[in-house]
Amino acid sequence: MSQASSGAAIALRGVRKSYGKKTAVRGLALEIPRGELFAFLGPNGAGKTTTIKMIVGLLRPDEGQVHVCGHTIGANGLAAKARLAYVPDLPFLYDKLTGREFLYFVAEMFGVPPAERDRRLGGLLRRLDVGDYLDQLTESYSHGMKQKVVLAAALLHQPEVLVIDEPMVGLDPRTVRSVKELFREHTQHGGAVFMSTHTLEIAEALADRIGIIHKGELIAVGTLDELRARALRQQSLEDIFLQLTEEADG
Amino acid sequence: MVETAATIGAARLGLLFRARWQTSANRLAQAVRESPVRIATAVLLIALIWLGLYYLFRLVFEQLQRTPLEATVAVPLVFNFFFASMLVLLAFSNAIIAHGALFGRSESQYLLTLPVEPLDVVTFKFVECLVLSSWSLVLLGLPMMFAMAVTSEQWICYALFIAFFLAFIPIPGALGLLIAYGVARFFPRRAIRAVTIASIVVLAIVTVTAIRALKLGDSATEVWLRAFLSRMSFVQAALLPNNWVATGIDHAAHAQFDLALLYLGVTAANAFFLSWLAVRVVSGRLDAAYDRATTGRGGVLRGPASASGGFCGWVFCYLPLSVRLVAAKDLRTFLRDPAQWSQLTILFGLLVLYLANMPTLRLEFSASGWFLFIPFLNLCAVSLILATFTCRFVFPLVSLEGQKLWLMGVLPIARERMLWSKFAFSMTVTLTVALGAMTLAAHMLNLSPVWAAIHLLVTVSVCFGLCGFSVGIGARMPMLRETNAARIASGLGGTTNLLASVAMVTVVLTGVGLATWRCRYLPTRELPDLQSLALCVASAATGVGCGIAALWVGARHFNRVEV
Repeated sequence: MSQASSGAAIALRGVRKSYGKKTAVRGLALEIPRGELFAFLGPNGAGKTTTIKMIVGLLRPDEGQVHVCGHTIGANGLAAKARLAYVPDLPFLYDKLTGREFLYFVAEMFGVPPAERDRRLGGLLRRLDVGDYLDQLTESYSHGMKQKVVLAAALLHQPEVLVIDEPMVGLDPRTVRSVKELFREHTQHGGAVFMSTHTLEIAEALADRIGIIHKGELIAVGTLDELRARALRQQSLEDIFLQLTEEADG
Repeated sequence: MVETAATIGAARLGLLFRARWQTSANRLAQAVRESPVRIATAVLLIALIWLGLYYLFRLVFEQLQRTPLEATVAVPLVFNFFFASMLVLLAFSNAIIAHGALFGRSESQYLLTLPVEPLDVVTFKFVECLVLSSWSLVLLGLPMMFAMAVTSEQWICYALFIAFFLAFIPIPGALGLLIAYGVARFFPRRAIRAVTIASIVVLAIVTVTAIRALKLGDSATEVWLRAFLSRMSFVQAALLPNNWVATGIDHAAHAQFDLALLYLGVTAANAFFLSWLAVRVVSGRLDAAYDRATTGRGGVLRGPASASGGFCGWVFCYLPLSVRLVAAKDLRTFLRDPAQWSQLTILFGLLVLYLANMPTLRLEFSASGWFLFIPFLNLCAVSLILATFTCRFVFPLVSLEGQKLWLMGVLPIARERMLWSKFAFSMTVTLTVALGAMTLAAHMLNLSPVWAAIHLLVTVSVCFGLCGFSVGIGARMPMLRETNAARIASGLGGTTNLLASVAMVTVVLTGVGLATWRCRYLPTRELPDLQSLALCVASAATGVGCGIAALWVGARHFNRVEV
């Protein structure tokens, strides 16, 4: 564990990743401190999902290192994984388990005692509006219902780092509001949220800092005001995003 | 109690197994609740097959026991060949399943983000693969071993044979796991295709070896038997696991239990060591292999796969543009999916090898009663293989469009045209292989032109009927929300289609069989009588009629279905 990275929830240092001859991410250096909600933006194929998969330990960087809560992914991956939760863009659930069975499985996997599990689940399920269908097999769920259960599973063990790819897709407006509140509370309690999204309004409303990746390179990172200053005082995040990515295209 | 890393690891491994047990229990409960008839039919059919095999093997072993000298040579050979075949087949079967389980499914991605040791993930998947891939050995091997136990009249043989069976299974499983890992690490592009091609090559080598062993002169002489045994002696090499099992079973059957236990110990020790080694090797580099497998796959199509695009359009040039486009899309998918073309290649490849080597059998086909019987059996084999293919791969085609039906719905193409395109695609594939095989069969058997024409006509009719059933019933009883072709094929519609297809093939072949029976004493080149001809034509018409009726019913329903 390096001293420099021990304070950050997520630290990426000089990370490069290639798919054959195509470089998906190059020279990526980024630190997300505890208590921060970081929005990661970029056009399709920019390298967002590759970066996320390296953070959660699914892919190995060709160069550089990734640390989660001070633990190096790869060398000490298990300790890092115990502290993070990952919600992919296509949520995974066991088809032939009910939502409740799946949540119990996740709780036991992360060592949450049954009494504590039930207490936490009660609050999460109420706020995410997960109700009647929890005892049905998950194969019958809509995308939004699956997303709610997966979000509940991710928050159930109170991870220090939450990594989410497109968190709001398929959710109804009431649940979107609840998820925003949950993310905000999570950061207020010292957790970090790393969120990749194309929904710029959500990034604008929620993020403490925003990073923009384009063709595998981090072309801008900062608060919304800092990005505004850099993008010639453009007001909306959409205008900033378009201007910065067009500038990077040259 | 202080929890150590080992106890936490064991608890998480236990949790993975419990979750899998829960999913299996839920799946079974759902199947029993929603389709009890299908489950009961499946259990009944499996029991019948199992009992049938048991009695067949029992007859063989009882026959062999009557001549002790032959039994001494033949019984170990039977087990040796059986377990040698199983070693190869199960290794590849495990490799394909393990590759999908560790590097393909979204579950493996999910598990790798959880705080579970790679060793536990690989152990869990290894056991799962053993269970999934070993059902064929349970179906074929257990009846054979029980039949042997009954004929040896030693009750302890039952326990010993099951122990041999359990000790053997991990050996091909471990080999399969290592193959899957090697493919993921070193051949990440089109991995399943690599495993499939390797399987076909191994199968071809085994078949050619078997044929060469059979081509040793007059098959009725002792010299031939000696030469055959000498050529196949490599299967009985002392270092091969099949030999340990076969020798152990033979000792058990002769009440030499100390020696049987010795061979059981050798098998179990090697199975345990090989499993431990495979799991350790794969889990040690699991992250690297997963990384290679997921970042190395896909990419731009080059070579034959890319060229298949133009070829597919050309094949259906006789169809109207809108139908041609959908049929070409299905053919392209077929050619790019090894699971589909490999099964057809293996089934018809074996058939073609058998047909090409018919002269080796040295049968006197012109002898009365035989010259039409063998070609008729060939026709039966081709028809049943076609039924297998259409039920597994053609039937799900309509259901698989379910996810994209909104796209088809907004395109300027009538829905029923989509069915015609599926029909055109399946007829093109099945006719190409079936007519090729039947023409080769007619040529190798020097069949008279009239009977060759009759068999080709019936083949066309069977293709028409089977494709019509699979497309028609597929449209009448679709599973539009399901994306897994295997589940669609095994659903209620798929089972109905299978039963209807087998019934139709039985009716058609019964007609041709009756005509064959009537003409069995006719001279080879003489024309069949009018009644026999009429029987054959009526059989062919039945196949075509069934196909048309199924397509009509399917099209009528499919035009009204709401997505």
